[in-house]
Amino acid sequence: MQETEPSGSGDAAASAAATGERVVIGAFTASTLAALALAVVYWRGGQPQLEGVLLGLSLGGIGVGMVVWAKRFLPSGEITEERGQMGSTQEQVLSFTQAFEQGEHAIQRRALLLKLLGAAVGALGVAALFPIRSLGPRPGRGLFETGFRNGSRLMTEDNLPVRPQDIPVEGVVTVWPEGHVGEPDSPTLLVKVGTPDLFGGRTRKQWTVEGIVAYSKLCTHTGCPVGLYQARERLLLCPCHQSTFDVVEGAKPIFGPATRPLPQLPIGLNQAGELVAMGDYREPIGPGFWNRGR
Amino acid sequence: MSPRRRPLAPLSFAALFVALAALLPVQSAAPAAVGQREPDGRQLFVTGCSSCHGLNGGGTSRGPSVKGSGAAGAYYYLSTGRMPLADSDAQPARKPPAYSPEQIDLLVDYVASLGDGPPIPDVDPEAGHLAEGGALYRTNCGPCHAASGIGGALSYGRAAPSVKPATPAQAAAAIRMGPGQMPVFGPDTLSDDEVNSIVRYVRFLDSPPTPGGAALGGAGPIPEGFVVWIFGVGSLMLAVLWIGKLQERNARD
Amino acid sequence: MARWVDDRLGAAYLATKALRKVFPDHWSFMLGELSLYSFVVLVLTGVYLTFFFEPSQAEATYRGSYEALRGVEMTAAYRSAIELSFDVRAGLVMRQIHHWAALLFVATMVVHMARVFFTGAFRRPREINWMLGVTLLILAVFNGFAGYSLLDDQLSGTGLRIAYSVALSIPLAGTWLVSLLFGGEFPGPDIIERLYVIHILLLPAVIGLLIAAHMGILLRQKHTQFAGPGRAEGNVVGERVWPTYAAKGLGLFFITTAVLAALGGLAQINPIWIYGPFEPAEVSAASQPDWYMGWLDGALRLMPPWEVRVFGFELPNPFFPGAVLPGLTFALLYMWPFLEARVTGDRSEHHLLDRPRDRPVRTALGVSTIAFYGVLFLAGGSDVLSTTFGLSVNAVFQAFRIMLVALPVAGGWATYRLCKELSLRDGPVVV
Repeated sequence: MQETEPSGSGDAAASAAATGERVVIGAFTASTLAALALAVVYWRGGQPQLEGVLLGLSLGGIGVGMVVWAKRFLPSGEITEERGQMGSTQEQVLSFTQAFEQGEHAIQRRALLLKLLGAAVGALGVAALFPIRSLGPRPGRGLFETGFRNGSRLMTEDNLPVRPQDIPVEGVVTVWPEGHVGEPDSPTLLVKVGTPDLFGGRTRKQWTVEGIVAYSKLCTHTGCPVGLYQARERLLLCPCHQSTFDVVEGAKPIFGPATRPLPQLPIGLNQAGELVAMGDYREPIGPGFWNRGR
Repeated sequence: MSPRRRPLAPLSFAALFVALAALLPVQSAAPAAVGQREPDGRQLFVTGCSSCHGLNGGGTSRGPSVKGSGAAGAYYYLSTGRMPLADSDAQPARKPPAYSPEQIDLLVDYVASLGDGPPIPDVDPEAGHLAEGGALYRTNCGPCHAASGIGGALSYGRAAPSVKPATPAQAAAAIRMGPGQMPVFGPDTLSDDEVNSIVRYVRFLDSPPTPGGAALGGAGPIPEGFVVWIFGVGSLMLAVLWIGKLQERNARD
Repeated sequence: MARWVDDRLGAAYLATKALRKVFPDHWSFMLGELSLYSFVVLVLTGVYLTFFFEPSQAEATYRGSYEALRGVEMTAAYRSAIELSFDVRAGLVMRQIHHWAALLFVATMVVHMARVFFTGAFRRPREINWMLGVTLLILAVFNGFAGYSLLDDQLSGTGLRIAYSVALSIPLAGTWLVSLLFGGEFPGPDIIERLYVIHILLLPAVIGLLIAAHMGILLRQKHTQFAGPGRAEGNVVGERVWPTYAAKGLGLFFITTAVLAALGGLAQINPIWIYGPFEPAEVSAASQPDWYMGWLDGALRLMPPWEVRVFGFELPNPFFPGAVLPGLTFALLYMWPFLEARVTGDRSEHHLLDRPRDRPVRTALGVSTIAFYGVLFLAGGSDVLSTTFGLSVNAVFQAFRIMLVALPVAGGWATYRLCKELSLRDGPVVV
């Protein structure tokens, strides 16, 4: 059990001590100057890099000074202390038990009283949870429906209708149902692939117009917008987890974690030659949930 | 459909070009011998392009038809050096152009004459609105090219390239003709004014302000995570090794 | 002055006891402090930020000095963050220090946890403290996610959408959980305000309390130490709190804050002005969460497209990597001290630490675990890795799937062999 002062004797120790002192003085001085410079920088309008570096210097100077002070000049290491017992002694447990059980008269139905107290507190606890219900609406039809109806015009972000000739071949446009532009659950991709005979697989051709097919833009994996259209291969790629959907095969997932195709929106033309929906999506859009199939 | 005229180079430039042409890689057109007529667009095409794109630009098994590319497509591919392309399986990558600006002009005119593709757009970034360009960029371009413009992965080895090296004309041409995997954004999808704004923002992304310090590649939380581990945890481990005791003396002999 | 206080509180006795306490001073015992100091920085910079941040989803228009967003419509929350970054002196530095401190908070926790694991410091009587530590890690991760989602930028909004979908995928309770938390369907009008309350009040309060408990238990039980001359299970050998240990600790605090200040000024983090305000129909390539959630993102990507569908009910694909995996991860972490005690049959008290090489199975399992989550973390950046190295992202996925099994196995086996080898070279243990 030894407590050592900084060791050594004579000149070596003295010069080591002097160096140590100089380092500490230097550190604290640098810190002070940096802090002053920081104040000036701030007063003059501020500059993030200077602010960070000067703040770092002023803090670091104090830190380094303290550490050197501790290492060189403060008593170091090798002091022993007994741990003592972790658990309590018999006497301590006994006196605790006695103190805890104070005031316990011989009530006849103590067990019953305690149980009723437990029930009361428990019921109150459960009741106290009920206000959580007010945080949000019952999950209802919202997850199963979007704003598309039969005849809803397809509107761009700028609230303009779309005619088939507006979209070039290998072009993509994002649209929403009229009156619901910008709503988070209904962004829809219109993709023009050139000729309708390119469509195969599960694509419903009767839901396409002049080579234009409409799919929900929300990935069926975790709901990110499937914003990447690889035109040459006619693939829609989701940037979040790389789910890949084949546009001409009913947006079937061909790579990545998505398990379901992007729902296809039935589209047609109205009298004015504008693209319209012919009803809502026939299945819930976006990621899955436990009762999605009901 | 009128191709955009480039300013004619002075005679001295032509002389310089002849000297430089000797240094160009094999794929470039052979320099004209003194006294002979310069090769015209069609001759350049036949020499350098037809082996993959067909004698009349109709395509072969090695390369697609260029009849629909128009001046925009030809200009984009040639001025970014993506064409001529040695390996038709790989995604064309930006490299120093194989042709001089004059030769590119000739080729562009010739390819434009082959079909009905889009002209080189008349783009004026200064007429665009930076903030509107940013919003349009994030909507239309960000999903593939990333918000910071560094580009992004597509499937099966393809990638959307970084937009930072693109000149305004190249960016506008790409938007209008949709090179490679890129979709086509026609005038009814994005107006000419909107393209001006987007292109202005694309140029802005080449050297955006980085008030916070080193931009860490513009790749988001991944490099940030590496920096905190390497510089943050790293420097503090050094500090801790300095401050604390290094080793308990061993129980073993 | 001290006398004045002491006359009123009679603290001298306790203070002496505290000042004279002995702490072992091995460098690897200072890692937990790094987390503590990061937390202090988080609170200090966080308070500053609350004076400027507006937790509102109301529509607003930015009119400040950053030209590329001037006139753009956004939420008030995002606008307040942009204004703080560009139009408030030192605002950006404070924001950046705060964010770097959050990343460092979790990183140092992981390093500290690894040290505790590999030296067996979680064994009796320290199981409670281990569990408090795991809880702190979970809360820190949640609070970090909540914090950077407050800014309502495109990148964090994308992450919030994914979190919503993962919660949605939980059977039976999922649809209710997200509706109550978000106040409706994604994104809902309330989420920013609610995350704000969670981030500045609820979680910091719990984290603060748990840190206090964590350190209180440490004081009560005294720190562990490595075996060595003069060291036994029944004692603790080191330095006294005052003056040496306190001076070193305080010095390390200032050095930690200095590192964070330097990072805050020199390394740009979370440039929300480039990401733009959150729009639910938009997304950017190269979207990743902050590093400590990268393993979850990687798991979501690598999970093969399997789903369970029965009688119209389903367990959607994200449920497994997004909810089951972290559930198992933290359950195993919590249970580890008890699992190990059961398997080894060792239920006695330990105050002397193991050297990792002396416990080859535990050390190998630890390395395997690090390898497993490390691969998941890298997989979270598959698309960025692909573009950086010119690879096919599809091939990268397959490679990571193979590595997810191969690397932990190989790493664990190699570690086991290495431990045995080093152990043999050291010769038999002399107690």
